[in-house]
Amino acid sequence: MRGRWSLILGAALSALVAVAALVSLVWTPWPVEALNVAAKFRPPGAPGHLLGTDHFGRDMLSMLMVGARTSIAVAILAVGIGVVVGVPLGLLAAARRGGVVDELIMRGNDLIFAFPSLVIAILITAVLGPSATNAILAIGIFNIPVFARVTRGGALSLWTLDYIRAARVAGKGAARISAEHILPNIANLLIVQGTIQFSLGILAEAGLSYVGLGAQPPTPSWGRMLAESQTMIALAPHLALLPGLAIVVSVLGLNLMGDGLRDLLDPRLRRAR
Amino acid sequence: MSLLSLQDLHLSIHGTPILHGVSLNIAPGEVFGLVGESGSGKSLTAFAAMRLLPEGARVTGGARLGGTDLLAATEAQMCAIRGRDMGMIFQEPMTALNPVQTIGDQVAETLVIHGAASRAEARRAARAMLDRVGLTADRFPLDRYPHELSGGQRQRVCIAMAIALRPRLLIADEPTTALDVTTQAQILTLLKRLVAEEGMALMLITHDLAVVAGMADRVAVMQAGRIVEEGPTADLFRTRAHDYTRRLFAASEHRPARIPQPQGEALLTVTDARRSYALPGGGLFAPARRVEAVRGVSFTLHAGESLGLVGESGCGKSTLSRAILGLEPLQAGAIRLWRQPVGPGMDPAMRAGVQAVFQDPYGSFNPRWTVGRLVAEPFHLMPQRPDDAKDRVAAALADVGLSAADMGKYIHEFSGGQRQRIAIARALVTRPDLIVLDEAVSALDVRVRAQVLDLLADLQGRLGLAYLFISHDLHVVRAITDRVLVMQAGEIVEEGPTETVFSAPRHPYTAELIAATPRIGTALAGR
Amino acid sequence: MLRYAVSRLVSLCLSLIVASIAIFAVIEVIPGDPASFMLGMNASPETVAALRDQLGLNGGVAERYLAWAGGMLRGDFGMSYTYRVPVADLVAARMQVSLPLTIYALVLSTLIAIPVGLWAAARRGRATDVAVMGVTQLGIAVPNFWFAMLLVAVFAIALRWFPSGGFPGWDQGLWPNLRALTLPAVALALPQASILARVMRSAVIETLGQDYIRSARAKGLSPAQAVLRHALRNALIPVLTILGLQFSFLLAGAIIIENVFYLPGLGRLIFQGITQRDLIVVESVVMLLVFAVIVVNFAVDLAYAIVDPRLRRRG
Repeated sequence: MRGRWSLILGAALSALVAVAALVSLVWTPWPVEALNVAAKFRPPGAPGHLLGTDHFGRDMLSMLMVGARTSIAVAILAVGIGVVVGVPLGLLAAARRGGVVDELIMRGNDLIFAFPSLVIAILITAVLGPSATNAILAIGIFNIPVFARVTRGGALSLWTLDYIRAARVAGKGAARISAEHILPNIANLLIVQGTIQFSLGILAEAGLSYVGLGAQPPTPSWGRMLAESQTMIALAPHLALLPGLAIVVSVLGLNLMGDGLRDLLDPRLRRAR
Repeated sequence: MSLLSLQDLHLSIHGTPILHGVSLNIAPGEVFGLVGESGSGKSLTAFAAMRLLPEGARVTGGARLGGTDLLAATEAQMCAIRGRDMGMIFQEPMTALNPVQTIGDQVAETLVIHGAASRAEARRAARAMLDRVGLTADRFPLDRYPHELSGGQRQRVCIAMAIALRPRLLIADEPTTALDVTTQAQILTLLKRLVAEEGMALMLITHDLAVVAGMADRVAVMQAGRIVEEGPTADLFRTRAHDYTRRLFAASEHRPARIPQPQGEALLTVTDARRSYALPGGGLFAPARRVEAVRGVSFTLHAGESLGLVGESGCGKSTLSRAILGLEPLQAGAIRLWRQPVGPGMDPAMRAGVQAVFQDPYGSFNPRWTVGRLVAEPFHLMPQRPDDAKDRVAAALADVGLSAADMGKYIHEFSGGQRQRIAIARALVTRPDLIVLDEAVSALDVRVRAQVLDLLADLQGRLGLAYLFISHDLHVVRAITDRVLVMQAGEIVEEGPTETVFSAPRHPYTAELIAATPRIGTALAGR
Repeated sequence: MLRYAVSRLVSLCLSLIVASIAIFAVIEVIPGDPASFMLGMNASPETVAALRDQLGLNGGVAERYLAWAGGMLRGDFGMSYTYRVPVADLVAARMQVSLPLTIYALVLSTLIAIPVGLWAAARRGRATDVAVMGVTQLGIAVPNFWFAMLLVAVFAIALRWFPSGGFPGWDQGLWPNLRALTLPAVALALPQASILARVMRSAVIETLGQDYIRSARAKGLSPAQAVLRHALRNALIPVLTILGLQFSFLLAGAIIIENVFYLPGLGRLIFQGITQRDLIVVESVVMLLVFAVIVVNFAVDLAYAIVDPRLRRRG
């Protein structure tokens, strides 16, 4: 039952952020580039500015909406890199379990884990300069071993089952078995891991843009809004509170949704409840 | 005065009733057998007495151990009773011990927890207890870890743990079900001896009537949460008053009617097959150790014949079956089907000639596929999917006693026995010459097993199939095969017509296997 | 045990070699000449040539890699172009901030998470468990640098209990430095503690469902005794894995947190290196961070073997 409540709450919070991001594509209360120094530091609730304005007089709500778009885009693409590269690697490693290919893939994974995503980002930035694309690349590379491991782990437990043996007796090769039998049956695992990596991606993007390695101005991003607000925290606390809350709401929403999905999709857990 | 007394015990878990008024009495020093099929509630009866039920369980009725009301006792009182007045051992010795603690510490803990001894004394007592269960100090020092022991040895440690404080009652829940038959015989002998020496009562829970026949003074038969019949073992086994008891007996002794098949030409020939594996754990510097799973096996299987392959776990029979199915290569020797070589690269059309049914009715099917798609999977072996594929699937389902309407259902809608029928339908759909049955009825309860054996015998008669029937269960092999191979440590040690081998074994290992297999008749006669 | 340790050590060395090649290769692929990249557009050819010489850029790829890697083995990380001092000296000074901070945070996180996770597991399904799970869910969602900013606003600016940033240096005694590191360590530790507590909780619950817990209960252990004597040590195995991973997260997190608190640690050094295009500094610090992560993973592998006897015999 708890699974269902976290799913509902999580989906609601995630939907709020997603809708804000989608609406920002066609409409924001104010244009985000509109500077109006006369109207700076308006508190939330000020007329015309529901969530107030920043130090340049830009509308906070508009900035947050566009920032959601940046966060979601970076996180989705980074998860995409992880899935597209990591899942096939994991399937291959499981199909060749115990072999040289498996060993190579797993050692390669361990190696990437030795470079935390921020360190990868630093390396990439040092070479290519800071940008949203490089942030995606840095977070995405770190996602590859995560998905490879989850896929391999799930696939390994399936490879021992008799229906895989039956498929081999029916003359099916490893690639076909992976596609027909393994992948559909670990999809649950991947969906849950996907929501978790999505939320971690949003956190990582915020961290990278906070230190200036993510999306560059004028693209609004929550992390950079926080960095800019830091010196003004006593003067205008809403500048620091609002983007932080936006991050918390999106990450919390996704995590709750992931937990709820896991409870709902895992028959083992469902029975235990 | 009975030692353990259950009166009208009712149990429900999360509102689902499990036990419907179970009453039984176990006298001091008595061996009491509780038999029933899976799901009959026999294990939960014991857990109710131990007060080790899962969350959400509700028990009413009476349960007394000596003068103590077990249902009224506080949890702290129960902790003092468990291990001191009643001990328990479980089915799965491989997981019943803490993997990160030494066997000595785990046995000594029983004494330490009850404040019966200091740590040093407890270790000495643990040593003495392990000696008594046959784990001597020279080979099994106290600082051994569970993973260094075999299943039978671990079960001995569990027994030592359970009886370290000489409880008045020992509950053994399927203590030998997970063990090989020779190990089972040793553990049963040990239990019998300890019970007699200590004057302990033993509550032996099992699905195996033959085990009970050889062990118990009194027996209760359980069905669907009720005890349907109870009495002294010999009387109950002879009279079989209750209908369910009779059906259980009939099923466990069941031998399907088989139409003798004319001996065909050689279908499968295995010549000096050898297969070894690298053990995990080879390092960078040391070459990995290899284990020879199949060491020069040769035999011939004829068309229409039912050939048995018996042996204990680890004897290499599974490895051999994978090689025969062309899933794994051999290192030496050859396997030929209709004189064509068998191996991982074999022609799909040839593969269609050998199909298989596996042990696990729950793991044998992709849960996301419909039965129609599952049964049709071997059509992959045909150059193109036959036009009448659907009719052939329906026919295969009809052959195994299911209907074409089942094609649209998913596997979770079927019971274990029905699932094995579907697995047989899947094996039939390409009209093979040979079906490899790898422990195909081992996971089924006796009555369902009898039905599936009947089905197999019937199909063989009608379709002229050959079977390679691989099993650890000698009863089943005897009931369904014409000829039998006995495998030990990668080699075939004896081969011959089934009845001849079973009635007059020539190899000592075969004799040992047959002697170790409990049989109701001999067990009752020997009492 | 020895064989296990040796085999882990071999794999540690291999990881270090591959990681160093990877870092070297990334720096190698920089478009254009690193020396002119570092000096900018307007550098004179002489300065560029001098820097090339200093960077050891005159030679084959293999030769340059060996010179760089060999230098690191001797503790020679090269000269920082902007600071005009050996990188090793810079790094050593900055480590005096970053390493204590990471360890402080790791200790805080572990001390909070292990008991909380155990407590929640023991009371699973009840109000305390639900509350703990809710709070940790929130803890995971909070970005540590934002949490750090809030801590500064409350405890440094409003309450003035702690300094809002800076680092006095160890020659000023232990206490002022601990005070300076407390807010950063708390900011780093709490999100990690949330993750660790959840892992601990589910690991304990998982082990509580194992057969050997039932055996333990059958010999008379109370539920609490079964947890402490049997579940805890088995639950530590997955917890160790997470602890190892957390070290690298903390290290990376420390890079960001140092910026919030203006701490002169490795994080500040690496960002200064990036803005000033001091590739030698960036390359060396990254290698050092990776080295730390790999060594910690090695330590975790050894810890596994201490907890789990099944690993000791394997090669």
